[in-house]
Amino acid sequence: MTTLSNGPAVSVERPRPSTGMAERPPQRRRRFTRRSLIPWLFLVPGLLLGVIFKFGPMIEGIRMSFVKVQPFLGDEFIGLDNYVKVLSDQRFLDALAHTVVLGGGQAIGALILGTGLALLLEGSSRRLWFVRTAVFLPVVTAVAVVGEIWRILLFPTESGFINSILGMVGIQAQGFLSDPNTSLGYVMAVGIWISAPYNMVIILAGLAGIDRALYESAAVDGVTTWQRLRYIVFPALRPALSVVLTLAAIRSLRIFTEVFVLTGGGPAGSTEVWMTRVFSLGFKGNDLGVASAASVLLLVATLVLTVSVRMVSNRKERAR
Amino acid sequence: MLKTRTIRSGLALAITVALVGTLAACSSGDSSGGDDKSLEVWTRSGPEAAASYQPVFDAFTKKTGIKIDYKPILEFDTQLQARAGQKDLPDVLINDAGSLGNYVSQGFLLPIDKSSIEGSDQIADKTWDENRGTDGKYYGVPWSRQAAVTIIRKDWREKLGLPVPKTWDDLSALGEAFATQDPDGDGVADTYGMVVAGSAQSGYALRWAASYLFQAGGGLLKYNGDGTYKSVVNSPEAATAVEWMRKQFCTPGVVVPGSINLTTADTPFFGQGTAGISLTGPYNISTFEANVGADNVEVIPMPAGPGGGVTSLAEGENIYFGASSKKTDLQKQLAEFLITPEAQELAMKVTTNEAGVVSQPVVRIPVNKTVDVAAVTGDPRWTVAADAYNDSENFPYAIDFLPFRQIAADELNAMLSDCNSDIPAGLKKIDDGFVAELKNQNLSQ
Repeated sequence: MTTLSNGPAVSVERPRPSTGMAERPPQRRRRFTRRSLIPWLFLVPGLLLGVIFKFGPMIEGIRMSFVKVQPFLGDEFIGLDNYVKVLSDQRFLDALAHTVVLGGGQAIGALILGTGLALLLEGSSRRLWFVRTAVFLPVVTAVAVVGEIWRILLFPTESGFINSILGMVGIQAQGFLSDPNTSLGYVMAVGIWISAPYNMVIILAGLAGIDRALYESAAVDGVTTWQRLRYIVFPALRPALSVVLTLAAIRSLRIFTEVFVLTGGGPAGSTEVWMTRVFSLGFKGNDLGVASAASVLLLVATLVLTVSVRMVSNRKERAR
Repeated sequence: MLKTRTIRSGLALAITVALVGTLAACSSGDSSGGDDKSLEVWTRSGPEAAASYQPVFDAFTKKTGIKIDYKPILEFDTQLQARAGQKDLPDVLINDAGSLGNYVSQGFLLPIDKSSIEGSDQIADKTWDENRGTDGKYYGVPWSRQAAVTIIRKDWREKLGLPVPKTWDDLSALGEAFATQDPDGDGVADTYGMVVAGSAQSGYALRWAASYLFQAGGGLLKYNGDGTYKSVVNSPEAATAVEWMRKQFCTPGVVVPGSINLTTADTPFFGQGTAGISLTGPYNISTFEANVGADNVEVIPMPAGPGGGVTSLAEGENIYFGASSKKTDLQKQLAEFLITPEAQELAMKVTTNEAGVVSQPVVRIPVNKTVDVAAVTGDPRWTVAADAYNDSENFPYAIDFLPFRQIAADELNAMLSDCNSDIPAGLKKIDDGFVAELKNQNLSQ
């Protein structure tokens, strides 16, 4: 089910031309000809793959959420029981809280860090190009590998890498991921580290689109750096930020891999998120009905969140 | 122009047709016929265990002419669900005895007529009884049994001049010594005591804790004798056990740091030479030997708990008959062969196959009473392992134990992760969870 929420992502990642749409003359309804069939023919392979690998499983998932899944004996319709089970399970509610904290924290953290990086690394010199590539590496590295490396870095003894650095400045060894009180925070930090560079790239693209003349005239007017950011850069970045926020809204709720490889949801369930709970119920506990119901709820929540982020940012843009 | 377009659209159509064709070919599964003299057999194994199964199946084919289509599968249950969806299960499945209740509840298994199985009297009644479903019928032929054993780095222990631990306190002290006295002599504090998979995932925390729980006199579920069970987890004995286990986690170095989040796949520490005590199945003896040297792997009798208890957690594998199979006679023939001394002994040997894979014995403690472990393996450590099995306790196989395992593992993980945790409250939580789940499965009195 995780991949299902990719659906809306595809539609929002399209470049959004801010002007031009309304100026186009209204299209007349064309007669159906052989020619109009051709684009559809080209689309068939993609659509077919989409139906088989995305929409098919999605519909199947929705069906499974209403039955007691027994692949061999035959499914048994049980109405909303699976949903009741999910919503009355304390562990799911805890997982929801963790997901919101983790998703929110990660989205905001990655946004701030990504913006900071973009402002620092904007430019066209070769040196910057090299640094940007280096900074971007976490995005292209497999999350499983990243998780494994961070687990080594965060090894909770004096001999652990980060602990040994802390030891040099007199801070005692930290439990990091093994301590239920701090584990969620460190998972969040790793998540921010992974996703900030991606945001950086989107924001860099936004920065590149700002008219240089604005900076020059601002310099002539003698504005401070902060004023330049406040009145030129941030307003111009609005479309880029809205893309970043939309992506964050979609991603944050279905967060799974980072948590799974770093802590598996532990210790003491302190980092358990919605998807790790779904995974352990569905594939470890063999309760596919409940797992499907939870996934459907996640899909609905993601849709609502995505649509509301779009509505808010659209309204802001229109108000401009 | 028009011609190009026609060619283009023709090409598009051809590609589309080809693609659809490929997809259709992918989705159509092949279902094997019912009359041939062959059996599809699945085991939950990696390459090392598969190397142990293969010679056994080869011997069977040689003897009976029945071909075995053998599939060692690691993601066993996920794959099995997929096959169940096609209503076409493998003919024979060899998997954990603990899966029995779950498989029966899903209708995967055929009941077994014990008296019709040749050689069934060579298996202890106690072992057979573990394989009864809640309806009293047998649902699996026993294949292998085992109990957790304590394995120690002998060279480390001897270097530090410490005796073989006889009690929990000794074990704890040994663990601390391994962590603090540099047993590998490299001058760096990079060694630890116990290897523990403490994650709640897949119930690992319980799998480790269960032996100590039993040794302290605690328990999990008690059979009422009438198809129902009672939760017995909330006891002072269990509290003693959890307190001791938590102490191991909270004394630096006794347990490998960070273990609270680890599963068995993430705990290669004994083999890597970073930890010296492992509570694990005897199947790991050969793996450890290959990593740290045969002379350095010591299997010790279980250190006694506070009341002198040495019970450890038993596990096992069964031969199950897939419910959709029509080859009842062939299934029976294979099971009958697998419980013979010949097959059991074959599966206990460590061999190297043509591909250079060193096999991991898949029969640990033979279910056939006439097979002598010490004689077959020629290794006194396996005698210790057999003794451990003789004083062991298993999770009930007849019921779907997975939810119970998860409930207990979640709370154990929570209690062990915090050195100030409220143990009585944690045990109460497990008890509440057990009571609710018993009701859910219609197993309470």
